[in-house]
Amino acid sequence: MLKELLQKSHMQQREKVDSWEDAIKIASIPLLKEGIIEESYIENMIKSVNKNGPYIVLMDYFALPHAKAGEGVNRLGMSLLTLNHPVDLKGNPVKVFLVLAAVDATSHIEALADISKLLMDPKNYEIFMSGDLDKINDIL
Amino acid sequence: MKFLAVCGFGVGSSMILKMTLEKVCRERNLDCEVENTDISSARGMNVDAVFTSQELADELKGSMKCPVFPIKRYMDKEEVGKALDEFLKNK
Repeated sequence: MLKELLQKSHMQQREKVDSWEDAIKIASIPLLKEGIIEESYIENMIKSVNKNGPYIVLMDYFALPHAKAGEGVNRLGMSLLTLNHPVDLKGNPVKVFLVLAAVDATSHIEALADISKLLMDPKNYEIFMSGDLDKINDIL
Repeated sequence: MKFLAVCGFGVGSSMILKMTLEKVCRERNLDCEVENTDISSARGMNVDAVFTSQELADELKGSMKCPVFPIKRYMDKEEVGKALDEFLKNK
């Protein structure tokens, strides 16, 4: 499921970004271009961090930006941005941003389970941290 | 035992936290049921313990009868395991 959602065309690698807000905006570009999400969803993801805190940083250096399911989301989608230099997200350095756009409460559970399983394996976690998109694509 | 994993929307992070909780419960051979939900639905729910972020824990504490444990890294088995052990010790 993860492999189908997180296509290679949804992955980007950058040297660095100016802010975590920029990271979320850049990471979302492929989803925006394909009409999977609207601009409002990007704003909602940023608002959520400001309102609810930085809990989207699920592991060290790894964040899962997302907002309310179905609001500004047309289809289920995921996109990835890896940074060579971490950016600060309210006191947490982050190198990998995985944007989740959900349409309802359940259709993305399988993909999240895949991600959780992947990242709990230290070998796979290191591959994500390396930012190497080909290698990341191989382990999905 | 029934636990609640809470985030702002109840769809992404809380789902991940639910999976981590289930995993640490399994590792401890603990029979538990974990539900995930958003902060407004969580208020007043009848469970044994709530796990959520620091910010949301501060908001929730007043409206829950059970202990509320703040978690920094929802996917960190060690941190979630520690919170669970603390709950079990004080039960």
